[in-house]
Amino acid sequence: MKPTSRLLALLALAVLPALNAGCATAGHDLYLFGAVNIQGRVAGSRDASLNGVYRRQADGSFQHIGINYPAMLTGSFDPRDPRVFYVATINGVLFTRDGGQTWRIGTSWDMTEPKDVRVDPNAPDTIYAALPDGLGVSTDRGLTWTRRENGLPARGKYTQVVTVDRTRVGRVLAGCETGIYLTEDAAQSWRAVHPTKETVNDLQQSPHDPKFWLAATQSAGVLASRDGGLTWAPVAGLATEKAHYNIAFDPTNPQRIAIGGWTYGLLTSEDGGATWTARNDGLPAKHRVWRTAIDPDNGHLYAAVVYDSLYVSADFGRTWQSAGLPNSRISGFAFVPKAQP
Amino acid sequence: MNRLPLFLLALAATVTLSAQPSFEAPPPPTAPVQDAGKRHDEYLKRVQEVLDWRAGRIDITQPEKHLDMAAIAVLLTRGEHYDVCSQRVIELMKDPGTGPFWMFPAVCVAYTGRDKLTPEAQKAIREAWRTTRQLRGDTENHWLMYYASLYLMAELYPNEPAETWYSGKSSAENLAESREYLVHWMDELTTSVGQGEYNPSHYIGEYAIPMLFMATWAKDPEMRIRGKMMLDWLFAELAANTLNGVLRGPNSRTDEGSAIERWNALSSYFSWLLFGNTPTPSGYGGWGVYFAPVAHNYQLPEVIYRIATDRSGDYLQRDRARTRRYWRYSDVLSPPVYKTNYLRRDYAVGSTQGIVNDAIQSHVWDVTWAEPDPRGKHNTMFSLHPHSSPKWMQSQFATYPEAMITAVTFEGKPSYDSPDKILGASPYEKVFQDLDTVIALYDIEPGERFEHINGFFSKDLVNVTEDSSGWIFAQGGRAYLAYRPLAPYHWIPYLHYNGGWAKEKLPLGGKLLVSPHLKNGTIVQAASVDEFADFAAFQAAIKALPLRFALDPVPTVTMQTLRGKQVTFTYGQTPVIDGQPLDYSKWKLFEGPYLNAEVGGRKMTITHGHLKRILDFNTLTITDQVTK
Repeated sequence: MKPTSRLLALLALAVLPALNAGCATAGHDLYLFGAVNIQGRVAGSRDASLNGVYRRQADGSFQHIGINYPAMLTGSFDPRDPRVFYVATINGVLFTRDGGQTWRIGTSWDMTEPKDVRVDPNAPDTIYAALPDGLGVSTDRGLTWTRRENGLPARGKYTQVVTVDRTRVGRVLAGCETGIYLTEDAAQSWRAVHPTKETVNDLQQSPHDPKFWLAATQSAGVLASRDGGLTWAPVAGLATEKAHYNIAFDPTNPQRIAIGGWTYGLLTSEDGGATWTARNDGLPAKHRVWRTAIDPDNGHLYAAVVYDSLYVSADFGRTWQSAGLPNSRISGFAFVPKAQP
Repeated sequence: MNRLPLFLLALAATVTLSAQPSFEAPPPPTAPVQDAGKRHDEYLKRVQEVLDWRAGRIDITQPEKHLDMAAIAVLLTRGEHYDVCSQRVIELMKDPGTGPFWMFPAVCVAYTGRDKLTPEAQKAIREAWRTTRQLRGDTENHWLMYYASLYLMAELYPNEPAETWYSGKSSAENLAESREYLVHWMDELTTSVGQGEYNPSHYIGEYAIPMLFMATWAKDPEMRIRGKMMLDWLFAELAANTLNGVLRGPNSRTDEGSAIERWNALSSYFSWLLFGNTPTPSGYGGWGVYFAPVAHNYQLPEVIYRIATDRSGDYLQRDRARTRRYWRYSDVLSPPVYKTNYLRRDYAVGSTQGIVNDAIQSHVWDVTWAEPDPRGKHNTMFSLHPHSSPKWMQSQFATYPEAMITAVTFEGKPSYDSPDKILGASPYEKVFQDLDTVIALYDIEPGERFEHINGFFSKDLVNVTEDSSGWIFAQGGRAYLAYRPLAPYHWIPYLHYNGGWAKEKLPLGGKLLVSPHLKNGTIVQAASVDEFADFAAFQAAIKALPLRFALDPVPTVTMQTLRGKQVTFTYGQTPVIDGQPLDYSKWKLFEGPYLNAEVGGRKMTITHGHLKRILDFNTLTITDQVTK
């Protein structure tokens, strides 16, 4: 891709939330990352089913693409070329440059079990990986990796999530065991912005207001920041006894937010986070929501119920229907702008 | 997580159908074979027995039913049925497994068949290493198998481009990464700060087999000698921790079956094969078959053999290891483990200081007595807090809190969340051992999943006597045992999870002492029957020893041991022996009459009598000495 084309693609990505707000477009491919038809498999046994990356088809079904890999967690796409994406797996960070036909394990033996991987949309050669013992960065599209942990604590840097601020290159928030950490220089240095006693499970930036962030935590409920992640405060009306796993903003409606988790299932707000409602009727009795997401094209709400199926709701959780993938554990959603012909 | 493959369980269920001479025969003599030539001949005979047994189970007319990779490796080693093996390899490679438990068997077939399999079969193996993603796993044995396998395959197929490997890396890149990890594991971890999976009852095979492959097949002479030295290192530790070939004492990882029937473990296969002093487990331990095709390439050093077979004198071995990685909720990535093992002719006592080495499978301490025939015998005594905690699981596994217990019970560790389990470590257990006295203290946090401790009382104990003094006396084999619960208790039958995916619990006999009190403790003392005129004299001696204990505010014991030591041990505090605090910081990597190594030294000195072998990973040299 020529530099001018890259610039246009970046611009398109930056304005995408605004385009989506209130006017659904059919502009995204949905990719899922996870394991399907989970059985009591053991290390070394044959895979009885396809796992790894799935892409939604026109009829709503999901087609497996790429490799059969049962331990893929999340993925992140290069905004310049959707055939280039990075996946956090038990082996490390895998990447493909041809839409999943061929893959390379980018990391080596010294980085394992990344929980999350993110491309900087404003500097897409730079990739961040959340590691159980810190944070890895690649500046060459995943080929080589180094640790950038200056400012993270020596211990307590288990990192579950890393999220890049889409408004500024090199500005990244990391959700760790001991709190939320911020870098503004592409991980050359970090500083703690909010301490927690246990792990921060998710960090999401509102597609409508880049200063508005939410953090799902293991034992501090859900935290909100209105200043771009510099300060955080608990969100009222949400329990803190058990973990919240992840958060989804609705790109089509700034008032709508969803939270998923094992214990509380699916929680939604339709007033920008002021009040919350459990939306588990219609989900399985064991509504263990491993991951939730909202389709930027139509506002459909997804709930991936672990060891069960993927569910979708067209009315923001009031009713649900199965979207397939039985006995699955979907760990990651990625809505990727469709490549223009 | 680590899981034993299903096919092994199926194998274990069927292996008893075939003749297994050394499994079915009377136990072998435990006295050492003095003649070196005879000793080696007997070793090779045992190797041949494994190959013959495995070959004997094969109906070559039904390769789809009978030819798995172990069978193929055995046939190739014996020089039989190359064409059938080749065809079967092609079939198997159409549907390969994923992960280290598939990788090293595939390596075994690739190397044993490199000049015997047809080009098409060899091509099929090579293709599987291009197309099938191999999981590296999340445990130390996974990684060692993974990288040893990848290393050897990258050497077998050098100079090939990235697109021909599942990793997307070239042969040279795979080789470099694998070598770097293997050297790191040897130099920076195992020979410097100890294994994370120390004294494993089963996983010893997952270390020994890849190291034998490395010692046999690596083209790089450095990696060959490293493999050979690691085999000596592993087997020296096995030798020093076995009682007539039976691995006892603390295990980084084991299972319910091996925790009570101490002989019934893959480690006993290696004792049988190398030391010849215990029966082999059924099916030669399953994985053990993969050692046999290349076992002729390893010769056990005599000094290790002597350590394994000499229990004429008592000895104390104090060693260091480390825990599995704590990803979170710990100030240290892999805290040190301090192991104490005291071995005598009739019994042995072993422990760690009480630490969660592995959240699921650790075994912390026991007294194990010698049995003339250990098969079917539950020859051990111990207590534990049945700990089950999502947060502790999170410390060692990169997962959400709620899911892990479900996953564990779903994926092969069904007892983890059971109140009557006899496997696992607890953060609320602290242990002190002096020779054959163990004090285990418990201070369980209120609100924990299980607020009691379990004491295992074997079906094979005799004369179990609940004395009015508070001591419980019993005899196991030729060992007298005294067990002192520090809080009230009751008895329940012991019900056994038969390991793996067992859904039902079996009444194998024996009982559990259940003490439903948060502040708790157990004292165990042991002695040989030869030391007392009779059982009553042993009981009288124990009861005469001064003993004071309290449970509040924290459990504390002050006592005189049967060996005359004055000890004070308070939960969470440094034990004091004869007025001297026990300084764990000075513990060496290995320290005892047989094995010695400094922390960070990368060098082990193995000694028995006038024999000495030094394994020096700094210089990659093996030095044998005979002192006058």
